Amino acid sequence: MATSQANVFTVVSKFYDEYVTTTPQRLKIIDAYLAYIMLTGIFQFGYCLLVGTFPFNSFLSGFISCVASFVLAVCLRVQVNPQNRKDFLHISPERAFADFVFAHIILHLVVMNFIG
Amino acid sequence: MTRGTTLLLLFALTVVGQALTPTTVLTTVDQARLKAVFENARPFTDLASAHYSILGLKLLGAQIPNTQDNCNFVKSAVDYKSPESLYYASAATKALGNCQLSNSNAQNTLQAAIKDGVDVPTLFFVVSALTNLGLPVNSNEVVNALTEALKTDDSILSGSMALHIAAQLSKETDVKVIFESIEDLVAQADEVGEKYLQFEGDLGLTSFFVVGAYRLAGKQNKAPLIMEDQSVKFANYLLSRKHVQSAKNAYDVVAGLSTLANNKYHIPVCITRESSMTVSSAQPKVQVRVSNVLSGALGKLTVKADSAERKEDGAVVLSNSALTAAAKDNTLYELDFLKTKAGRGFYTIEFSVAADKPDSRLIGLSGAQVEVKVVTTVNVEEVELSLEDKDQSTPPRVTKVQYPQKTAGNLAGDHHQNLVMRFLLKDTADNSAMEAHQAFVRLTNKRTKQEVIFVAEADDDHLYKFELDIGASAKEHFNSLSGLYAMDLVVGDALIQNPFAWNVADLQLKFPEDSATAEEKPNLYQPREEIQHMFREPEKRPPATVSTTFTALVLLPVLILLGLWIKLGVNIANFPLSLSAIGFHIGLGSILVLYYLFFVQLNMFDTLKYLAILGTLTFLAGNRLLGSIANKRKK
Repeated sequence: MATSQANVFTVVSKFYDEYVTTTPQRLKIIDAYLAYIMLTGIFQFGYCLLVGTFPFNSFLSGFISCVASFVLAVCLRVQVNPQNRKDFLHISPERAFADFVFAHIILHLVVMNFIG
Repeated sequence: MTRGTTLLLLFALTVVGQALTPTTVLTTVDQARLKAVFENARPFTDLASAHYSILGLKLLGAQIPNTQDNCNFVKSAVDYKSPESLYYASAATKALGNCQLSNSNAQNTLQAAIKDGVDVPTLFFVVSALTNLGLPVNSNEVVNALTEALKTDDSILSGSMALHIAAQLSKETDVKVIFESIEDLVAQADEVGEKYLQFEGDLGLTSFFVVGAYRLAGKQNKAPLIMEDQSVKFANYLLSRKHVQSAKNAYDVVAGLSTLANNKYHIPVCITRESSMTVSSAQPKVQVRVSNVLSGALGKLTVKADSAERKEDGAVVLSNSALTAAAKDNTLYELDFLKTKAGRGFYTIEFSVAADKPDSRLIGLSGAQVEVKVVTTVNVEEVELSLEDKDQSTPPRVTKVQYPQKTAGNLAGDHHQNLVMRFLLKDTADNSAMEAHQAFVRLTNKRTKQEVIFVAEADDDHLYKFELDIGASAKEHFNSLSGLYAMDLVVGDALIQNPFAWNVADLQLKFPEDSATAEEKPNLYQPREEIQHMFREPEKRPPATVSTTFTALVLLPVLILLGLWIKLGVNIANFPLSLSAIGFHIGLGSILVLYYLFFVQLNMFDTLKYLAILGTLTFLAGNRLLGSIANKRKK
């Protein structure tokens, strides 16, 4: 039992070290952003479970905004990642960022409209 | 055998005769009304209505007022160039007498009008005007022109005009063809309900034809080819239109009917009821008027009642009894109907007429039907009121009552009892028991005035019995309202002269206690409460602390994000201080602010307008910024 716990710990710490050392800083920033969005979404969902869905459209727009932002950020991360370079030869990181910004502008216009 | 044939013949005659008598006449009242119609046409506005008014009054034998004024009007209105105008004017002046038109002027116009190709109406106007003015008519010329004109025009109006024209020609003229056309014209008439005969529903045309046909027949001294029943049907039609309002229509009615009342061939005999429909012991006589269509006398007649039949069972109460002539009026005949011992009921009496001095002109002599009803008075007898215990434990108390008194003292009944009333209705004429159409028992609450009505029904021996189960009917009929009730017997019938509502007794009714307190029915017609519109109630909100906590929780990740970024060492120093970089970030920021404003106050259209401006600027700035970054990286 103790050994397995130690195994898990070593795996996690090794994974963490590898992440810290090999991941470019640019991706780390995006990952932090992803974590932030995920936490926000979890808190909103928790509120919905504990207190209630009223007002429902506000909850929906907030939660969907989180999910959509997360998806967009993941897309950005995939396109910016140097390991995927050969898949996105003709898309520069700047181009990816511009798409990301544009998609957000559209998304939040809709969210604001729906929030009531 | 002979007798059988005679009977059969008589029978056939009766059957055929049924429709053959006008059912109404132009009474003196009608004549006065039509006279008023003619007089109301004054002051005259046109020649035609003046002519109808003057001729109508003359036909009714009335005084024509202001003869000189009429004459002046006709003279001023006549147009010497128009045959039609001359026709109306000449007819009017002829009727007025002592009023002369300028014959020479008229003659020129009229003679000139008789030429080849003239149409039938013009010819009619010309010939009539010439005759009215007493000027000579060239009969042969007219007949030739008329024959020519009729070839192209075979309408009923033209045919009728031809009759009038032919009647005004000299006696020697051969108008056989035109005389025989009467039969064809009659064949074109429309029959309505085997009672009326008319042309195209047109009163004027029908009347014009009838007058023309008999006029020509009189001139030719030959009976017109009109069947007797057709003649009666024409009379029926004209009589059915006697309530007309205009001078022209009134003239048509009067002219047609006076022709049918006074000609050499067919004079329909009208038999109408003069007395009221009701026959009673006080008024036992049925009076009928036997006259021509204008209520005129027809000479000495023998009027007989062929039969009188009761409607409900077909019982024949009299046959072949003669009527006596009334003393004062020579068109009235009387029949003492109650001499036949006819009981109460509705009767149809059928009459026939024979002239003392045989007169072949009279038609419609049999089959006239008149309806009367014989009424009677009724007595109510053997009235017994009783209250019977339902369980028969005690013998019923019977109270006898005599109409029109009331029981001495009130009767008291409760829900263990039945109220029973028995009575007999007796016809005073023959002292037999009878039934009335309507026999009701009415109970009226003396306090609330609420009425409850029950039907009293008779058994086979005509004995009426009314039974009321006080307990069972309490709720349904009386609303369980105990108290004093007035009990009335209501009897009525079309054949009863003395219908009555008789207060038989006052009842003290007592209904079961438990429902005695039952509420009176709520008033259905009170205004209801006003309905106010209600908005949907908002759902309950959580307490403020919970909301605030979660707001804080949702904002917390922002701090975590900033913390992580600082820890990762975000390279803010690398921020390029170019115009495009600043513009890009300000642009993005202002878009976010715009969204916030959209959330708070703006509408979609304003937002899109501003977004287009901000978006363009941000796009340009972003394009340059990112482009420069990319270039830098490639180097």
